[in-house]
Amino acid sequence: MTTDDQLAAEYVLGLLEGEDLLMARGRIAREPEFAQAVERWDGQLAPMLDDVEDMTAGPELWARIEAATIATPEGGAQVIALKQKLRNWQIAGTASAMAAVAALAMVVLAPNQPGAPQPIAAPAPLVASIPIADTPLRLGVTYLPDRSEMLVSASGLSADGVHDHELWLVPEQGELQSLGVVVPGQERRIVLPQNVAANIADGSALLLTREPLGGKPAGVDAGPVVASGAFSAT
Amino acid sequence: MKTATTQAREQLKKAMQRLADGDRAALEEIYQATSAKLFGICYRILGDRKEAEDALQDVYINLWQRADRYDPARASPISWLATFARNRAVDRLRTGKVQRNAVPVEEAAPVPDAAPLADAMLIDAERSARIHSCIETLDTNQRTAIRTAFFEGQTYAELAEANDVPLGTMKSWVRRGLAKLKTCLEAEG
Repeated sequence: MTTDDQLAAEYVLGLLEGEDLLMARGRIAREPEFAQAVERWDGQLAPMLDDVEDMTAGPELWARIEAATIATPEGGAQVIALKQKLRNWQIAGTASAMAAVAALAMVVLAPNQPGAPQPIAAPAPLVASIPIADTPLRLGVTYLPDRSEMLVSASGLSADGVHDHELWLVPEQGELQSLGVVVPGQERRIVLPQNVAANIADGSALLLTREPLGGKPAGVDAGPVVASGAFSAT
Repeated sequence: MKTATTQAREQLKKAMQRLADGDRAALEEIYQATSAKLFGICYRILGDRKEAEDALQDVYINLWQRADRYDPARASPISWLATFARNRAVDRLRTGKVQRNAVPVEEAAPVPDAAPLADAMLIDAERSARIHSCIETLDTNQRTAIRTAFFEGQTYAELAEANDVPLGTMKSWVRRGLAKLKTCLEAEG
């Protein structure tokens, strides 16, 4: 058995944690062959679930599910749109290299860039809670539209000394915009430049990628996507 | 029986495709056909009825939001849904919301002569037989570790601690078991 095949099986069984798990997630997102090995193990082990005894859930459960789906009537369509965007981004990966550096620089240098589109004023904060793969880790993101201020809480994450994780906004149009490197175990507060803030709305998608220390270097593709989520109004 | 099984699977596959197109009625059809099986799986992993119901709700809502993830060309719909439910239930265990009422895995092993299942039509008996006969060829240590990981969502570190062996020992048990399992699955395939 190859090392990759072994890793795929370990991932499927849920034996991995921490950085090993994030790495496996990243490889699934990036390497079709590895993703296929995972799928193969999933399929081979699934029949173990066949002889778990059936149980009947309470009759009110369907009503709860139906109510929740009515609350999000768009269903699958929204996700298809996001996937399309992701694909476009992956194609344009290299070009977005400069954006990461530029966005971070502007936090310090030019918080009020003249001529940028004005953000749509929304008094309620937007929040996103991003589960990281099959780990108990969760990244908390809060955005205060009136102040263009973002809080990123990474209290579950730990640093491995080799990688950093970088948070990205998926705008309605155009390329991904960096929201900066996530500091493990800390809460970070930053003021976003207007060209980034203007793209944040209820439903805006977020991605987390694994990068070398210091974030994605200019001129190379972004690292593997290890988690994703979306802002929603509180 | 073969025809009925194929029909049931095809019907579920079609419902999954309609769901991906945003048809909410398809979700109810899928729920009726699969919820007893998926609830059984959630309960098996979480060991608590209320938690299993919450997990099941989470499974179908997630399915509604992300129905496009299922690729009908690649997997049998019931296997895919069962795996999906298992993974969501394990996620739930991991997020620490649940303290599992630990039932030793061998003790909780399925009763072979269970009453006919409501959705037995959907179950792929051939593949079931293969993995089951293969897993029986493993040493007890290997089999128990693999089953415990699968049904209780335990990581290497947790398995090592629970069995009071070094992490390296647990990894080698599991890895040898996986290698053996793979050889067996491929030999019979």
